[in-house]
Amino acid sequence: MEQNNSLPPFPQGLASPQNVMTPAIYSPMMPYGTGLTPQPVQNTNSLSILEEQQRQQQQQQQQASAQQSGVQSSSGQTPQLYHSQAITTTTALPGNTPLYTTPLTPMTPITPATPASESSGIVPQLQNIVSTVNLGCKLDLKTIALRARNAEYNPKRFAAVIMRIREPRTTALIFSSGKMVCTGAKSEEQSRLAARKYARVVQKLGFPAKFLDFKIQNMVGSCDVKFPIRLEGLVLTHQQFSSYEPELFPGLIYRMIKPRIVLLIFVSGKVVLTGAKVRGEIYEAFENIYPILKGFRKTT
Amino acid sequence: MSNSAASPMAGGASMAARGCGRATSFVPELQSMMFALGDSRRPLHETAALVEDIVHTQLINMLHQAAEVSLLRGARLITAEDILFLMRKDKKKVRRLLKYMQFRDYKSKLLKMVDDEDPVDSDKYSSGTVNKRKKLFQDFLGSIDQTGEFLSVLEEDDVDEVKQERMERLEKQTRAMDATQYSDFCESRQLSFSKKASKFREWLDCSTLDVKPNAVSMEILSYLAYETVAQIVDLALLVKQDMTPKNGDPFSHAISASFMQYHNSAAECAAACGAETQSSAIQPAHIREAIRRYSHKIGPLSPFSVRNNRAVKELYL
Repeated sequence: MEQNNSLPPFPQGLASPQNVMTPAIYSPMMPYGTGLTPQPVQNTNSLSILEEQQRQQQQQQQQASAQQSGVQSSSGQTPQLYHSQAITTTTALPGNTPLYTTPLTPMTPITPATPASESSGIVPQLQNIVSTVNLGCKLDLKTIALRARNAEYNPKRFAAVIMRIREPRTTALIFSSGKMVCTGAKSEEQSRLAARKYARVVQKLGFPAKFLDFKIQNMVGSCDVKFPIRLEGLVLTHQQFSSYEPELFPGLIYRMIKPRIVLLIFVSGKVVLTGAKVRGEIYEAFENIYPILKGFRKTT
Repeated sequence: MSNSAASPMAGGASMAARGCGRATSFVPELQSMMFALGDSRRPLHETAALVEDIVHTQLINMLHQAAEVSLLRGARLITAEDILFLMRKDKKKVRRLLKYMQFRDYKSKLLKMVDDEDPVDSDKYSSGTVNKRKKLFQDFLGSIDQTGEFLSVLEEDDVDEVKQERMERLEKQTRAMDATQYSDFCESRQLSFSKKASKFREWLDCSTLDVKPNAVSMEILSYLAYETVAQIVDLALLVKQDMTPKNGDPFSHAISASFMQYHNSAAECAAACGAETQSSAIQPAHIREAIRRYSHKIGPLSPFSVRNNRAVKELYL
């Protein structure tokens, strides 16, 4: 357990092949293409959420994967883990220099080479995560709506059952095909946990629900650069990426190509980032936009 | 400021003189909009009243023509297609409208992604309303297109020069502002006719029409109203620029007499009110000159066109 928690702060994500100081058990070639779906989930049919979590934790301790440990570890450590997690997803691309140091990792004996550009020091906070999962069986929405608590079903208005749970505070849309959408979670782990809880509810109602193909579809993050931004200048110089129609919407819509993220930039300095499939894309997008925004800072 | 005391009264007098029977007035909103489009910090009341008049007339004309078109079709409502049909000759305006509508579609899509309050909006997961406006346009333009000229509007991605010019002008204007002025400016920019949809509807007074406009066509009309204000301000700023005496301008002696008349009346206005800021705001005279130039058809056959033909005019007036 300690091994798990002590190693994540190591910037093993930055472990490019030439970094020989990487601890041996952490392979630099991690499969970050898998997103946030740990492998064992697909095979389980029986769900007992607590047991499942414990099983997963045990498996992750054995598996040399920083991503999973990041997801499952306690929230106290989360800031550092998010950083290292973010780094792992971006070093996959060739020629991509890590844009940020790891300022929040106190236990880092290995100091990574500091990149040329300094980091903004601001970390976007995740506001909403939308995920989907396939319960693998046809569902009778009427039964679910009648017997489950906190469920509403109005077939004339929308063809799905809307269920809510308080912890984690989320909403689920459950369709008769067995597919489910889970929204409102603030982290990947919470989204997964919530989805499992909903699946458990459906299972308890007598349906043979499974937990197949859990996938994070969208992540929304937001942060504040703390200075006013002159949007007219930004829309002029970055025309190909930005659209700004203040009569319709007070924010500038910036469509970043790499990573494929949409940013909503407001005059006050608030930035909303959306369209990410993994957390690292949000961080990368923000680090890309921050120097640009500094250039259009509205000075008094 | 002395002019702010003088101008409401002057504005009030001219409004009464025009005898407008409209209950609702967009003059304060128009003043904000004109500031956001490039006018000085406090646009004049008379100017805003004149602009309101012009925009109202234009929109009523457009509404009546659109009503005729929809009656021709035998429809019960004025739809976006009718307005598009009227605009079909002017490619640039159609493209600008299309871009605006695309932005609207995109914005509603984005906001549904970002806001999580009510994940069950009736249209959220149905793909029917994603890009609904763009689809509307595509279908309609495809149906009236004989030579492929309309569908090319959808594909073209050239820079809109007018919009570019406006962006550059606003950028220059905002560079000089400080933070408080800039936040005022941003708030003014957010004002639009679509934000005050009910007031706008009232202002348009559709009660005399046989067919009423539907929701999308109201969006388009409020956009067209805003575009009209923007164009008027663009042209008026050009006129204002022309009027400022430039040293070393080779054509200054060739400016026409009517032009000088407008110039003098503008100068008189400035002298009467006597405040310095008056000279930087757009005057009604600038607007009248801009409209005159815009409607003055210049071309090889213009002396023979109905508008310019004095004989025809005498017949009808």
